Amino acid sequence: MKRSKTMELGVGLFMLAGIVGLIFLGLRVSGLSLASSTQTFHLEANFANIGSLKPRARVTMAGVTVGRVESIELDTEWYDARVVMKLDSDLEGQISRDSTAAILTAGLLGEQYIGLSIGGDPETLADGETIRDTQSAVVLEELIQQFVSSMANG
Amino acid sequence: MLSAHKVSAGFYMTDTAFIEIQDLHFTRGDHEIFRGVNMSIPRGRVTAIMGPSGTGKTTLLKLIGGQLTPDSGRILIDGQDVNRLSRKALFKLRQRMGMLFQSGALFSDLDVFENVAFPLRVHTNLPDAMVRDIVLLKLQAVGLRGARELMPSELSGGMARRVALARAVSLDPELILYDEPFVGQDPISMGVLVQLIKRLNQALELTSVVVSHDIKETLSIADYLYLIADGEVVAHGTPQMLDTHQDPRVEQFMHGQPDGPVPFHYPAQPFYDDILNHDATTRIG
Amino acid sequence: MDANFSDILARVTRLGRKGSDLLEALGRAGLFLGQSAISVPSREGWRLWMQQMHFVGVLSLAIVLVSGLFIGMVISLQGYTILVEFGAEEALGQMVALSLLRELAPVVAALLFAGRAGSALTAEIGLMKATEQLSSMEMIGVDPLRRVVAPRLWAGFVSLPILTVGFSVVGVWGGYLVGVQWLGVFEGSYWSNMQASVTFLNDVGNGMVKSLVFAVVVTWIAVFQGYDLVPTSEGISRATTRTVVYSSLAVLGLDFVLTAVMFGGL
Repeated sequence: MKRSKTMELGVGLFMLAGIVGLIFLGLRVSGLSLASSTQTFHLEANFANIGSLKPRARVTMAGVTVGRVESIELDTEWYDARVVMKLDSDLEGQISRDSTAAILTAGLLGEQYIGLSIGGDPETLADGETIRDTQSAVVLEELIQQFVSSMANG
Repeated sequence: MLSAHKVSAGFYMTDTAFIEIQDLHFTRGDHEIFRGVNMSIPRGRVTAIMGPSGTGKTTLLKLIGGQLTPDSGRILIDGQDVNRLSRKALFKLRQRMGMLFQSGALFSDLDVFENVAFPLRVHTNLPDAMVRDIVLLKLQAVGLRGARELMPSELSGGMARRVALARAVSLDPELILYDEPFVGQDPISMGVLVQLIKRLNQALELTSVVVSHDIKETLSIADYLYLIADGEVVAHGTPQMLDTHQDPRVEQFMHGQPDGPVPFHYPAQPFYDDILNHDATTRIG
Repeated sequence: MDANFSDILARVTRLGRKGSDLLEALGRAGLFLGQSAISVPSREGWRLWMQQMHFVGVLSLAIVLVSGLFIGMVISLQGYTILVEFGAEEALGQMVALSLLRELAPVVAALLFAGRAGSALTAEIGLMKATEQLSSMEMIGVDPLRRVVAPRLWAGFVSLPILTVGFSVVGVWGGYLVGVQWLGVFEGSYWSNMQASVTFLNDVGNGMVKSLVFAVVVTWIAVFQGYDLVPTSEGISRATTRTVVYSSLAVLGLDFVLTAVMFGGL
């Protein structure tokens, strides 16, 4: 009887360890955060070219992650890309109307993310509004082409 | 139902059959094991099925227990056709049977007590105290009440078989099948087992089927004998009838003669050819 | 000419027999899985399952965790030497986590599980068959599929995914030890790059799905080989070998298929 009790304890701990491990994989390894997923608001931005930006890419402000890209779709009115971002609700009513959104690259060849920089307008953006001032992704091929043609001209 | 009169030829006509085997055919692979076996095993008696090794005696027990399905023929146990039963009904029927396996077949992860308690725990809802009483009673009957806390690996062969016997009768079955109960036992445990089988049969009024090739021990407990060889019943009757039987196959088996209709030698080419003709030897090797 | 023809005919017949034998074995194995996995849970079944969880899961933990630690450390070391050439050693966390979660943890844990627990299951059930314990259980009126096989199957199904999680966690930590503590990759970038690239549903989730598939396949092979073997000592040793060989091949083959479906852009 005593042996079976310690065995049950062992199995219980084993299964508990599995659950704790899964939580570790969720929080620490894949960076899910329980707090931010509950309280968010949305902003949109149109870009002429998003490069290789993907849904779930980071949205940062001064290098700090403040949200994620929720969806990317083609805006058929202007034929550019409409990006919907999900941001921490702490920032709701804090982002001024003339803020800029730029698609940046981590390192030379790294993944792409959105960097927000705050403008000076006292009026702020509300949930679901659009950031007007955007800066498209830098496409390496275009950059090289420009460089080569300027060399040729010069 | 159970008459007390002693064995005499012909009285089996009056006994009802508990197991009825009709025209049984069974093949395994290309080997024909049974071709038309007919048997009638009387209720409340010890019936022995004997025959040389390899004649499928164990297979016959498995057929009776419904673990194997015959190619054709019927096996009726108390009027129920074993092979026509649903899985559920078959398991229900098996609760009325006990089987003693050659190796004992005790569950190696349970101790002696739990082994004997196993059928009670799975088939009854008896309270623990009552299970304990029944188990101790059965262990007392086989003389191993003191060994209840041992694990099967700690038992000798004879003790393991006695525990298995206690387990086989723990649900008070109506039928008990013994598969080679005397094989590999020393004379003392052999004597103990013979005693036990006899006593259990009388005390519990059950029908016993003993499969064996140990003539002396089997003759001492059997009321009726079936002798099988070459996939058929070659003779049946009371021990006295078989002892004086004229058939040479029966004589050879009953009196343990090394050579006879069942040859001593495995089929081979003539001995001198084999010795003198070197080519032939190498070809065989 | 005529002899040639009959020779070919004999070969085709043999092929046909092999094919039908294979189909028959697969059918038997499928029926076996179906009959044993579907069993009504009872108090007794719960206790038996617990016993097997201990045997199959808890006792495999040590080997799985130690292997996970070493594999995490090795990926980190190897990855660092490659990444540092591109000046991209910050991506080390990403590399360690993705290769573990998507590929190495499910596969290596399954292979270790087949060797440690699978072979033991085969041998145990095989020995129970050889000593007529399964037969005697049947004669007592208890279905060995439910009593013996089902708890082992379910214990395997549950244990391997847990072991895989353990493997991943320990591996990520081993990668951290080597990458950050030893080679000096910046700690913040190890974790943040990892978090930026790993998605829970795609990477952790798909890894778990793989692991669950492997758990079913490996445990199934192990118990079936045990149940179906020829009950002699030679038969047991052969079946044990077959368990390890078949499980390993099945895991690696299925891994390719699953990877193609999950990550291959199909």
